[in-house]
Amino acid sequence: MTALPLLESAVAPLSPVTKGNAKIVDESPTLDRLHRGHYSPPWSNTSIIGVAGSSGSGKTSLSMAIIKELSLPWVVILSMDSFYKPLTPEESASAFRNEYDFDSPEAVDFDVLVQKLHDIKSGKKADIPVYSFEKHARMENTTTIYSPHVLILEGIFALHDQRVLDLLDLKIFAEADSDLCLSRRLLRDVRERGRDIEGCIKQWFAFVKPNFHKFVEPQRNVADIIVPRGIENKVAISMVTDRIHKTLSIKSDEHQMALRRLGQVCEDDPLSPNVKIIQHTNQIRGINTLLMNPALSAEDFIFYFDRLAVMLVEIGTEEGVKFKSSTVRTPIQGETYKGLRAESEVSAVVVLRGGSCLETGLKRVIPDCSTGRVLIQTNFRSGEPELHFYRLAPNIAEHQCVLLLDPQMSSGGAALMAVRVLLDHGVREDRIVFVTYMAGKMGLNRLMSVYPEIRVVVCRIVGDSEPRWVEQRYLGC
Amino acid sequence: MSGAVFERAPSKHLGPDYKSQEERPSATVSTRVDHKNVTTLPQTPQLIALLTMIRDKETNRADFIFYSNRINRLLVEEALNHLPVLPHTITTPVAGKTYAGVKFEGKICGVSIMRAGEAMEQALRECCRSVRIGKILIQRDEETSKPRLFYDKLPADIKDRWVLLLDPMLATGGSALMAVDVLRSKGVPEDRICFLNLIASPEGIANFAQKFPLVRIVTAFVDEGLNEKNYIVPGLGDFGDRFYTF
Repeated sequence: MTALPLLESAVAPLSPVTKGNAKIVDESPTLDRLHRGHYSPPWSNTSIIGVAGSSGSGKTSLSMAIIKELSLPWVVILSMDSFYKPLTPEESASAFRNEYDFDSPEAVDFDVLVQKLHDIKSGKKADIPVYSFEKHARMENTTTIYSPHVLILEGIFALHDQRVLDLLDLKIFAEADSDLCLSRRLLRDVRERGRDIEGCIKQWFAFVKPNFHKFVEPQRNVADIIVPRGIENKVAISMVTDRIHKTLSIKSDEHQMALRRLGQVCEDDPLSPNVKIIQHTNQIRGINTLLMNPALSAEDFIFYFDRLAVMLVEIGTEEGVKFKSSTVRTPIQGETYKGLRAESEVSAVVVLRGGSCLETGLKRVIPDCSTGRVLIQTNFRSGEPELHFYRLAPNIAEHQCVLLLDPQMSSGGAALMAVRVLLDHGVREDRIVFVTYMAGKMGLNRLMSVYPEIRVVVCRIVGDSEPRWVEQRYLGC
Repeated sequence: MSGAVFERAPSKHLGPDYKSQEERPSATVSTRVDHKNVTTLPQTPQLIALLTMIRDKETNRADFIFYSNRINRLLVEEALNHLPVLPHTITTPVAGKTYAGVKFEGKICGVSIMRAGEAMEQALRECCRSVRIGKILIQRDEETSKPRLFYDKLPADIKDRWVLLLDPMLATGGSALMAVDVLRSKGVPEDRICFLNLIASPEGIANFAQKFPLVRIVTAFVDEGLNEKNYIVPGLGDFGDRFYTF
């Protein structure tokens, strides 16, 4: 495959694999790596901002203010409170007597924190532990952080561990008068964490204050910005957000450039055998003729598109489902038939909003199909696909075949992202069947060069810059 | 015509070539039929799985209805492909682009042989929304044990239409042959009739090929044969009963 060196070098700005000379690969390069393009979702290499400061110094409200000012949907706050170590029974007892030192770095599980930050930074899904202050224990459930572009890590020791510091893009230290800190902490612990005043004051003088001088204050020295007066400090907040905006814009450009390069490389490649173009029978051609005629009424458009969608989904399940032999008895006395039975559950994931056009067809083939949803929209200013929302079946990793539905694919940006979301949620690549009405050839080649094991079912191969008119006609707006 | 005898309902490994042998389980597939006007749906693993569902006597009525409807839709889609089309180029919504498409020519109608044939009407409606549907009632005369026409109600202009004749089971073909006779008596030419059915017997196909060689038959599966009571075996039992009442 002559495209190899090109493919590798095409991704140089984003892929860690390709540093240095692109032609030098590992000692034992797997076939996989040799043939694969690399896609890095726009949320990978997440910008992580650390906000440290004394207890009650206003870290959370400062973080909130930054988020509000950023006004982007993909910014999340990660509180280090989630990473308290689970306590032994003795420690737990002392915690209830307010004698356990929560304000020492010892109480924080930095190993887990670093692990989770690594996951987030590399664009993967991270399950964050939940810590209960009432019970002084780590809960069984976790919360999931996935695909943020910006993560704000806040906690008194956000700038303490060198491994964490290495992952931070911006280090902020929030500073406040110690009287103010104490009064804020009292209010919060009593109101929100169900403590009593005596206990809180005991903790403050036993642990918080001494630890502040010992561990918290030294973090000032490693901070990039020291922010006094918290949320009142509008200048500091806007400096921070300006910087984040700039970083994000550079990343967005890089992402799009990488996408474009991925296309140029494989423009002329033949289509992968995993791409199945449905047979163009007279009926299919007739339906296409009707669908593409702007004079067709909305009612008819929906009718004929649904009809086509049924055929696409039928072929999609055919591609993905595995069967095993099964002999059944028919109602005729003594007669048996040696047939087949599907052995795998089929589920679907709809790429919104376009994918909803294929849902009627889906429900005609599998009425009770479990259906996840992913909202990916192309930013009309930058042209970059953005992940706004996703909800997937909790056991999606166990499904033997996942149909990914999107009626149109042009450059492939949204499809690459959607497949990546499925993979990050544990779906095996060879179990994904991407079902689409029309696709651009370059977009398809892009998709297949990155994810060669997925299957695609498509009705028509079209130009690469076709606007998304199908969903507009189907949904009427 | 239809002289050659092929192995009836042979066993075969199914699935696309790129899959490994273990991913291509074996199953009984349709008997090969040597008659150019008979089209058997491609024997994909999925079709076989659908047929397995409706053949299984343990399958309940809701599932029977759903799965038979899915096959019926495949039959209708296939049958419609046999209708002639004319080239028709249109200008697409994408600025200035044209699409060299086709247009359906002529008019169609459905005719169901009561009552089992009516079970196929839903699939027809899902593909052709406002299609006209005529009905024919043919039942076996208890005295002569020959099929007898009791009732027909067909579109007045049926002779100008392509007719999709619906009956899920083709056993000896007695009633279907009679239905074709009825259509011909209304002026429908033989080669404008397309007979859709789910499961056929080789005998029924042979009867058709002999009597009305120009009628097209679209079927999902040609079964092993008939038993002494002229039921299709292994078959799926009485389609009407399983769809409507059991």
